[in-house]
Amino acid sequence: MTNQVKAPHIVKAFSEELEQLSADVAAMGGLAESLVSDALEAAATRDGDLAADVVARDVQVDAMQRDIEKKIIRLLALRHPIAQDLRVCIAALKIVSDLERVGDLAKSIARRVPTLNDSDPTAFAASVDRMGKLVLSHMHEVLDAYATGQAARAVAVWERDDDVDEHYNALFRELLRAMRDDPSMIGPGAHLLFIAKNLERIGDHATNIAEVIHYLVTGRELAPERPRAPRPEMHR
Amino acid sequence: MKRASCPGPVQAAPGTGVIAAGAPGARTGWRGGVFHTRHIRMIPVGMADERANRIPNAPADRPRRRDIALTASLAILVMAVLTLAGEIEPGVFFAGSLALAGLAAVYYLTALTAAEPSPRPAAAAASRPAEADAPGVMLERLPIPVLLIGPGGRIERANPAARAFLGLGAEGGLLSTALRQPRVLEAVSAALRGERGAAVEYATLAPLESHVRAFIEPIGLNAPGPMPFRAMLVLADDTSSKRAERMRADFLANASHELRTPLASLSGFLETLLGPARDDPEARERFLTIMTEQTERMRRLIDDLLSLSRVEMNEHVAPTGVVELNALVTDVVEVLRLAADRRGITIEVTPAPSPTPVRGDHDQLYEVVENLVENAIKYSPDGAAVTVWVEPSRTRDGAEHMPERITPQSGRLTLTAPPLDPDARFAVVRVRDSGPGIERRYLPRLSERFFRVDGQKSGPAAGTGLGLAIVKHIVSRHRGGFSVESAPGAGTVFSAFFALAPAAPLAAGGAEAEPVKTFAGASAAEPVGNRADAVTKV
Repeated sequence: MTNQVKAPHIVKAFSEELEQLSADVAAMGGLAESLVSDALEAAATRDGDLAADVVARDVQVDAMQRDIEKKIIRLLALRHPIAQDLRVCIAALKIVSDLERVGDLAKSIARRVPTLNDSDPTAFAASVDRMGKLVLSHMHEVLDAYATGQAARAVAVWERDDDVDEHYNALFRELLRAMRDDPSMIGPGAHLLFIAKNLERIGDHATNIAEVIHYLVTGRELAPERPRAPRPEMHR
Repeated sequence: MKRASCPGPVQAAPGTGVIAAGAPGARTGWRGGVFHTRHIRMIPVGMADERANRIPNAPADRPRRRDIALTASLAILVMAVLTLAGEIEPGVFFAGSLALAGLAAVYYLTALTAAEPSPRPAAAAASRPAEADAPGVMLERLPIPVLLIGPGGRIERANPAARAFLGLGAEGGLLSTALRQPRVLEAVSAALRGERGAAVEYATLAPLESHVRAFIEPIGLNAPGPMPFRAMLVLADDTSSKRAERMRADFLANASHELRTPLASLSGFLETLLGPARDDPEARERFLTIMTEQTERMRRLIDDLLSLSRVEMNEHVAPTGVVELNALVTDVVEVLRLAADRRGITIEVTPAPSPTPVRGDHDQLYEVVENLVENAIKYSPDGAAVTVWVEPSRTRDGAEHMPERITPQSGRLTLTAPPLDPDARFAVVRVRDSGPGIERRYLPRLSERFFRVDGQKSGPAAGTGLGLAIVKHIVSRHRGGFSVESAPGAGTVFSAFFALAPAAPLAAGGAEAEPVKTFAGASAAEPVGNRADAVTKV
């Protein structure tokens, strides 16, 4: 599965530790992914219990981050990894902190669900849901790319963050207009704006992870600045 | 499943009480060696050496030389005794003996040829498993993913269904890399500690929705070492039933909501016809025309809704057929040309230079192209041109958008796309209209059900708002992609792309590719009839 550990080490335990590290990061990715997925489902189905569950489970992500970081520090101290092995450790360190942020953002989405449930369902739920699914598919792809060591798949996600921005911009404009036309939309509209922003940020973390995977596999950095669509907040 | 891959001298611990109902199959598999020796021991002593070296499973009823000789000589002995006792004539004895000897000779010869160790049964025995391997082979061929997880979450065994389901490589690896579901991983590590098994449900929403039930059972082994437990993981794909459940609810909600409007207008007209307009022939005429239009619209709506639910229901089952895109596009355009002619719209078709077979369901791909071309005609002004073309063999990124933008400021958006595979090649159908174009902010909502860009809702030609939703779902079922590029004032290009089928022999009639076919509005009269009859809409 993992193409990351290529030749076996003389110390077999080292190979196993590196492999276990990648597996732990993948498992943490799965947890973060499930939080985002559940937060979205809670928002779509107006399920307050599921939202509360997401908020509660974010603690696990934080715990996993601490645990994996400890393991990495131990690895660095005991094995002095170089080259590919060093990249595996550094990549894990970076990805884990991105995943922790993703968990927080999912929690923040879930926290807004009860408030949204107080107002009537809006026509924008479908747009948020669509954007969420796109972001989720980026997360999924990027974690698959990590598990299989395919840099090309990661780069594809990196290039595709434009689509997320496009969705975000469209949603932003439509929400602004709806809030202008109907003041009763301001309450739920503001929460939906934050949810959309959180999703957009999750998409950014997915591209960060994609950059790290590219570095991990090839040893080189991706182009410094990703071409991105103009932000609507900056314009009007 | 090779026995060599079995985990060591493994034996199931009898009476540990933790072995689940599903476990015995696996248990017997591991003890294959035991079965094998017992099988050989059952063969009568004396025969064993000779036969064990040949085909162990040779049929026992084949006549053997010794049996034939014995039977014949016994019969001759009986006749000799009878002759001596004076019961039968010596002539009869000689004739009978001769006949028996001849018969014995014939049998002897046939037995000789039949018993010859021909290569055929040996080959059959090789392809057919020995009895001892049967449980292992059963596990291999089981269409349900089954995995055995060892200490540390390492995949020790996985049947082909599991490999395909999780996209596993040849070697084991760790479960958490292949299946990132936290609840499953938790249950597996509990089982590895010897705790009770569990059934866990998990769902992935994107890129493709799927619902899976996972059954996790601990398996206790009396192997030495600190890790006596393995975890058996069985996955059951529950997507169809979950989808069916939700589709039904969605269909009812959509249908009742969208049908209410035309229904209300119908009943309004009926009331007017029964009341104030009862004796007004002119108004009656006009109202009846509108009512016909409304019922027609309701019919279209129901057709589209049914079509949409059908597609959604099967969205997770990839189609297996092969469709030639050039012919398909030509067919669709020939059928739609009549409608285009009426408004003086030209449809220009450029097939790919060579036949372009893609993986797909013919009727559904027909619906995709039909919807796109129909839309292009609908939103183009009278006398404008619609362009349809097929591009062969593009990478995913090349398929999504054209190399050149239609205008520098055009909006581009991918509405659905397959996961990236650098080796995958796609054939693209692009449809370009010369309509008013779509504002950038509407692009993400294009494939939403019942979404219509502002100002499109009225008019007799108003669509159901389901066409692009249907296209998106069909494309996503085909693991293909669907994208749009548009700029206000510059028209819109829709691209739908599908994975190229491996170069297989094409169905007859699929290869009629001419470099460029232009169907000008004026020359459109003759060949439409035949094709229109031949191609029926789903």
